[in-house]
Amino acid sequence: MYSTILSGALLGVNACLVQVEVDAASGLPAMSMVGSLSGEVRESRERVWAAMKNMGLEIPPKHITVNLSPADLKKEGTAYDLPIVVGMLEALGYFPAGKARDILFLGELGLNGEIRQVRGVLPIVREAAKIGVREFIVPKENAGEGAVIPDVKVRGAATMGEVLGFLMADAAERGAILPAQDAAGWPTAEGAEGPGYDFAEVKGQEMAKRAAKIAAAGFHNLLMIGTPGAGKSMIAKRIPGILPPLTLEESLEVTSVYSVAGNLDGKSLLTKRPFQAPHHTISMPALMGGGVVPRPGVISLAHRGVLFLDELAEFPRVVLDGLRQPLEDRRIQIARVGGNLIYPSDFMLVCAMNPCPCGFYPDRGRCRCTEPQIRRYTGKISGPILDRIDLCTELQAVDVSSLHRESGGETSAQIRSQVERARKMQEERFQGTEYRFNGDVKAADIDRFCPLEKEDRRFMEETYAKMGLSARSYHRVRKVARTIADLAGEDRIHREHLLEAVLFRPAQEYWK
Amino acid sequence: MEERYYHQWLQNMKNLTARYAQKLLQRFPEPRELLDAPENWLEEILPPAQFRELLERRREVRTVYGMQEEYERLMEKGIRFVSCHEKTYPRRLLEIPDPPVGLYYRGSLPGRDALSVAVIGSRECSEYGVYIARELGAFLGRRGVDVVSGMARGIDGISQQAALEAGGASYGVLGSGVDICYPASNRSLYDSLIDRGGILSTYSPGTPAAGRNFPARNRIVSGLTDALVVVEARVKSGTLITVDMALEQGREVYVVPGRVTDRLSDGCNRLLKQGAGVFLDPESFLEELEELAFLKKIKPERSDEEKNEEGESGRKHWPTAEVFSWSRNTPRDMEEELVPVWEQLDLTPKSLEEIGGALGGRYSAAELGVLLLRLVMTGRAKQISAGHFCRL
Repeated sequence: MYSTILSGALLGVNACLVQVEVDAASGLPAMSMVGSLSGEVRESRERVWAAMKNMGLEIPPKHITVNLSPADLKKEGTAYDLPIVVGMLEALGYFPAGKARDILFLGELGLNGEIRQVRGVLPIVREAAKIGVREFIVPKENAGEGAVIPDVKVRGAATMGEVLGFLMADAAERGAILPAQDAAGWPTAEGAEGPGYDFAEVKGQEMAKRAAKIAAAGFHNLLMIGTPGAGKSMIAKRIPGILPPLTLEESLEVTSVYSVAGNLDGKSLLTKRPFQAPHHTISMPALMGGGVVPRPGVISLAHRGVLFLDELAEFPRVVLDGLRQPLEDRRIQIARVGGNLIYPSDFMLVCAMNPCPCGFYPDRGRCRCTEPQIRRYTGKISGPILDRIDLCTELQAVDVSSLHRESGGETSAQIRSQVERARKMQEERFQGTEYRFNGDVKAADIDRFCPLEKEDRRFMEETYAKMGLSARSYHRVRKVARTIADLAGEDRIHREHLLEAVLFRPAQEYWK
Repeated sequence: MEERYYHQWLQNMKNLTARYAQKLLQRFPEPRELLDAPENWLEEILPPAQFRELLERRREVRTVYGMQEEYERLMEKGIRFVSCHEKTYPRRLLEIPDPPVGLYYRGSLPGRDALSVAVIGSRECSEYGVYIARELGAFLGRRGVDVVSGMARGIDGISQQAALEAGGASYGVLGSGVDICYPASNRSLYDSLIDRGGILSTYSPGTPAAGRNFPARNRIVSGLTDALVVVEARVKSGTLITVDMALEQGREVYVVPGRVTDRLSDGCNRLLKQGAGVFLDPESFLEELEELAFLKKIKPERSDEEKNEEGESGRKHWPTAEVFSWSRNTPRDMEEELVPVWEQLDLTPKSLEEIGGALGGRYSAAELGVLLLRLVMTGRAKQISAGHFCRL
């Protein structure tokens, strides 16, 4: 007997369909599996064998061949256990042939027949739905994430027994055995609120808050310099909350990444912008993604959200340099023998660091770092990374009394509405171009998108000469000025916008 | 001429301190005699280690030609040597206990007539220190007073740079060979010192800078000057070693007072408590110094007679119209809206938040930042870091 069952494979955060073919023929009793299988897929044979035995399902002495097609695609992960066992049951005649047609199966098998959680259900369901698959049987824990895709039935199963019962039943009874998961509610405006932190809780630090607002509005990368305890991480954590809410499409992208990484923790759809703050001891593969079985790294988990690097100067240079490609391309390509994987990594980079090794510069009464020490400290940060950070701001230590006195100022919701307005202006400006935000604009297009009046141009030249600034930062200052003008709702960049952008000029200007 | 080679040879001995070198010179006024002097005579004068080194060097050099060759090689590189027996040797150094046998130099040596002041202080100085050092250096430069210092980062280099920029002469005394620029970041200062002043060192060319060399270097700094001005110093500071040496050498010590809460002024204020001269402004300081120099007869040509005799020959005459005042920057031509912000600024860097707070929240952070930047652009303020500003 021959049977064929639908399943799916992950390609980065995308997916493709896989046919699991099982053939049971007379011959020397054996079970062989082919189709470019990795170790964990090959082990599937033992799990399937033991699970069937433990459920009291006899395996007749036949020559069983399992093929996973397309046979040249490397199969990884444990999600093929369930389709393989279903294929065997069909090939061995445990349920009427054709009953499993057009159903896609995913799931890992325990030796006692229970079905366990797997990674990457959402992207596979999403891809299969596009092709026209309407019914899915997945592990119970993964049913929620699959069900966010509209117009499909996703059934969560806890044991193989349930699956077999489902397949043997008539179409009318099926719903009672394995009910389809309710579609998760779409993210509403409330559901998309930031991760529970509000900017109103940050007292003082007006400059830094302003810088964060500008950065969020124009998708500029941001560097915060300040003494320990000044509130750098406090501000960074609140930035996802002032970004516009995730759209459905973005939400699916983010959830797909988390699904592939196995970080979904039973949640169905992620509606909050991600915030990732890796420690500076992080390894290159953990940050960029990779591993023997490649998984998305922290930069991909920060996709559509904020990647926060605290203590920037402590990060090894090679790790920071690795960020150059993803910052440029907004995705990361991981090369493996089996092929290239692409994970998205469209994040906003927010960095924080001390001004000097002791953290008190320029307060010379307290800071005793020598100038070479400070230079060495700031020099640790790779230039190419600094070249991609448009805004720099400084935070002062806050004394306790002012924490009680001062009011917090704008709330995250207020800031977010300003950011959204500024982003709308950018949307119109960049319609039909490769750009989305002011922060993306490349040097060659600055004159087109951030034009200056003749006298303002001269004024900037003067400013740069007087302040001894380098031409290197000129384009970035102009992009930031454009965003400041957008926040003010102005079509034209005014002089005060330019000056404010100079105020937030990139850090290298201080470190010469 | 030949005498100079022997002095250089003596100066190059690593272990021989100036004290014992001078003892040798007392016993053997012609250093060439050292080559033939009986060993037991030398042993009487020198401690064992220095005695052994002298014997070893003596064995190496039996003719004067080797020394001459080395001397000429240095001449080619623009490095000069002057011995304490020569007329051009800085006269002030002869007054100190155990003057060095000779000095290497590039550029020129300090003149004999001009007053000479050492401006010294912390390498990691505050904006206040930077300001004072710059103003003082420039003032002295304009008045034709030589500024002597160690060419270090911070106060030393800033005062020297300012003196040169004001058209004065300045001399840097190094703790390394004169052909080595330390710190390397002061390269342009090093070059202009050679151009318009001099680089001096007691260490033979090629000697790298080392911490242990600096106290001896500081002795020469104070030895070359009539007075010392300490701009900023912590309680534990190399600057205070220089002060001790200056006092031993009978130099005037002036100290710039600081706020009692400033750690960088602690050393200064302590010196003031111990009775050091109070530096209030360059003008009054220079007046006092000229008075003292006159009393000490360091400048005998100050009497009218001699002045007339000398005429235009040696000394330059400096315009005396300038009246120094710290608050030169009265903002008369300043745009009105900038004035209140400017008034909040100080020589100590203030954060934007502090300034904003002092102005009572009149401006938003961005508005205030823009006003401050306009002050920076008109040369009224300086941006120290992303969020700190100070007066200029």
